[in-house]
Amino acid sequence: MSAFHKLIARVRTALESPVESARPHQAAADTASPHAAAARRAELASAFAREFGAVRGEFLGIHAPEKIPAKAVELARTLKARVIAVGAGVTLDFDPVRHALESARLTVVPMDTKKSEDAPPLRDRIAQADLSVVEADAAIASTGTFAVVGTPASPASLTLTPAANLIIFRADRLHADLATAIAALGPEPFVKNRVAMITGPSRTADIEKMIVLGVHGPRRLFAIAAWPGQ
Amino acid sequence: MSAGPSSSGFLEASRRGVADADLRRKLENATGRHLEHVAASHAEFPAFDSERDAARRIKEDAIGRLDELLVELKNNLEANGAAVFVAADAGEARDYIVKVVQRAEAKRVVKGKSMTTEEIELNPALERAGAEVVETDLGEYIVQLRGERPSHIITPAIHLSKEDIGRLFADKLGIPYTAEPETLTDAARKRLREIFLSADVGVTGVNFAIAETGTLALIENEGNGRLSSTLPDTFIAVMGIEKVIPKLSDLSHFLEILARTGTGQKLTTYVNFISGPRGQKDADGPRAMHVVILDNGRSAMLADPVLREALYCLRCGACLNVCPVYRRIGGHAYNSTYPGPIGSIVSPNLFGSAAAELPFASTLCGACRDICPVRIDIPRILLHLRWREGAKQPPARWPKETVKVRESVVRFARMARFPRTLRLLTRLAAVVLRPFSRDGYLRRMPGVAGNWTKWGRDFPALRARRKTRKGAKPAPRIADANRDGAAAPSGQSQ
Repeated sequence: MSAFHKLIARVRTALESPVESARPHQAAADTASPHAAAARRAELASAFAREFGAVRGEFLGIHAPEKIPAKAVELARTLKARVIAVGAGVTLDFDPVRHALESARLTVVPMDTKKSEDAPPLRDRIAQADLSVVEADAAIASTGTFAVVGTPASPASLTLTPAANLIIFRADRLHADLATAIAALGPEPFVKNRVAMITGPSRTADIEKMIVLGVHGPRRLFAIAAWPGQ
Repeated sequence: MSAGPSSSGFLEASRRGVADADLRRKLENATGRHLEHVAASHAEFPAFDSERDAARRIKEDAIGRLDELLVELKNNLEANGAAVFVAADAGEARDYIVKVVQRAEAKRVVKGKSMTTEEIELNPALERAGAEVVETDLGEYIVQLRGERPSHIITPAIHLSKEDIGRLFADKLGIPYTAEPETLTDAARKRLREIFLSADVGVTGVNFAIAETGTLALIENEGNGRLSSTLPDTFIAVMGIEKVIPKLSDLSHFLEILARTGTGQKLTTYVNFISGPRGQKDADGPRAMHVVILDNGRSAMLADPVLREALYCLRCGACLNVCPVYRRIGGHAYNSTYPGPIGSIVSPNLFGSAAAELPFASTLCGACRDICPVRIDIPRILLHLRWREGAKQPPARWPKETVKVRESVVRFARMARFPRTLRLLTRLAAVVLRPFSRDGYLRRMPGVAGNWTKWGRDFPALRARRKTRKGAKPAPRIADANRDGAAAPSGQSQ
C-alpha cells in the first residue's frame, strides 16, 4: 500500500468518528452580476479608483485605447524609466505601446523566449526593467485588485520584478467583487497558467507594523482603464 | 511522533516574558495596532459575518470529506504536471525535500514564509545536506539573521523594535546603523533580490489547495512567495492535509475574511495561483514542481470529534494578537512553531508530550473564539485538551506554587457550598485584609492567599457589608469583581 493510500485509509478511519457540528456544505450562491453594464461602469470605475488609491496604487484615469501609448510614454518619462518591459495585450493591441516607447528612445525588452548565447534569460532582462506594462484579464472594484494571467507572451515576472508596473484593464472587465471576478475568469486560466491577483504595490509591515512599499515586488503600481471614446 | 521543534519549559519561559517590560511594550504596540486595523476593516464590511459563516460551512464540508478531496487534489495536481508526495510525518517530508534538492544539485534554496516548513524543521535538514537556505519574508529573514524562531505566525519579528533590527542589519549586512524602516527594508530588498535571481530551489507553504482544479493559492503581501515560486527552476510547496477546499468558487469566501482578520486589509497584495510547472514556451515559472502533502498528526486530530474543528484554522494569527497571555509573554515563551491560542491546541497534537503544557496557557477569556474568522471554539478545545492531559498526567508535574493555588481554589469551591459559612468568612477576611487594601484592590495578601498575588496578580478588595437600600437586610459580598454574578456564591442570588 502506497503512502498516499495509507493516508487516505487513516483519513477514512478518522472520518468515521462522530462529529457534533458537521453540517453539509451549502455553498453560497454566486451573486452573479452581469458584466459591467454601461450605466454601472462609471460607478464601478469610481469605486475601483477609490480602493486602488487606498492601497497606494496610482490611478491614471479612463482613456481610449488609442491614447494609451502616449500615456505610457508620459509615465515612463515621469519615472525617468529607461528600460521598459511590455507584455502582450489580452484584449488590446500593445504593439502601438511598444512603438511609441521606442520612438521616445526608450529601450523596450522584447518578450522573446528563444535562447540566445549572448543574451541573459528573459526573466533576468525583465528584472532589469524600470517599468513594465501589462494588461489585466479582470479588475475588482471592491478591493482595487487586478487579476493578471501569466502567459508566454506576458510572463508572470512582469508584474513582479520591475521597479514600477503599469497595469491596463478594459473597463468592461471590471467586476464588482472577488466572487464575480473569479466566476467570470472561470477555472481554465487557473489550471493552464499562473494567475496573480494584485492589490497595490508590494508591501511589508514586519518592522513595528509600519507599512513600507516595495519590499520585493514593484514599489509603485499604476493603473489605466481603457474604454473607447474616452 | 517526533517532538519536533517544541519542548517543555513554558512556565519558566513565560515568567521571563512577563518580567520583560520592553518585550511587553513592543507586543502591546504591535498587537494593538493590528486590532485597530481589524476592527476598522470589519466595521466597513457588513457581509463579514455571513462570509464567516459561508467559510465555516465550506471548511466543515471539506474536512468532513477530506479523503475524497485529497484524491481529487492529487489527481488534478498530477494531471497539471506536478509531482505529489504524501508524508506521514515530518521526517518523511524532510527526507523527500532533501532528495529533491540534492537531485537538482541545488546550492541555494529560497523560502517563502511557511509555518509548515518550520513545523518539519526543514532548514537544518537542508543545511546538513549542504544547501544554503535563505528565508525571504522580511520578518523571517530578520529572525533567521538572529538565529531565532518566528515569534508570531504572521509577524515573525513582532518581538523586535526597529532599533533592534537596525543594530542587526548593521552587524550582519554591514550597512550603517539606522532605525528607519524604509532604509532597512531597502537594504533587505537589494540583498534578497540577488539571492532570488541565483536560487536553484524555491520552497513555500500553501494557504489553500483547490481540489477541483489542482491549484495552490499562496497569499502574501511582500511578493517573496511569488518570487520563490516563479524564479527558481524547482519549486516545492509544503501543505498540511487540511488546506484542501473543494472548488475555485469557494475561495472568494475565505479571501473576503482572511486578510480582514489577519492584517486588517481588505485583501492581501498578492494572491498567487499555481497549478503546475511552466509550459514549454513560458519564460518563467519552475521547470519542476513538487507538492508535499503532510499529515504529521493531523489525521489523529481529525479522529477526535472536538479537535477536528482545529483543522479549520486559516493561520490568520488574529487569535495571538487578541490573547491576553500571548500579549504579555510573546511567542518564544511557547517554545513551539505555533504559539498563541491556536498553537496551544495544535502543538500538543503535532509535537506530542513536549507541548503538553500549552493548553493550560490560557485564561479561557474567549477573545480568540470571538475574533476567529471561521469561529473555532478555541476555549472549548483547550478545555478538552486539559481534560485529556489531566487524565494521563499527575498534577505533581506542576510547580508547588501552582499546586497550592489549585488546592486553595478547591477549598474555596467546597466552602462555597455553605453560603452562611462563606458569608461569615468573607466578613472576617475583609477585616483581616483591610490593611492590605489600596485603591479598592489587594495587591499583596498574607498566608495561603499570597499565592494568588505572588505573580503580580491583584484581587478586588473585600467589603464586609454591601451598601443597601433603607430597610433592606445587609448582606456581605465580594465586591466589584463578582458583580456579573458569574462567580458569586449561590446563596447571594436569593
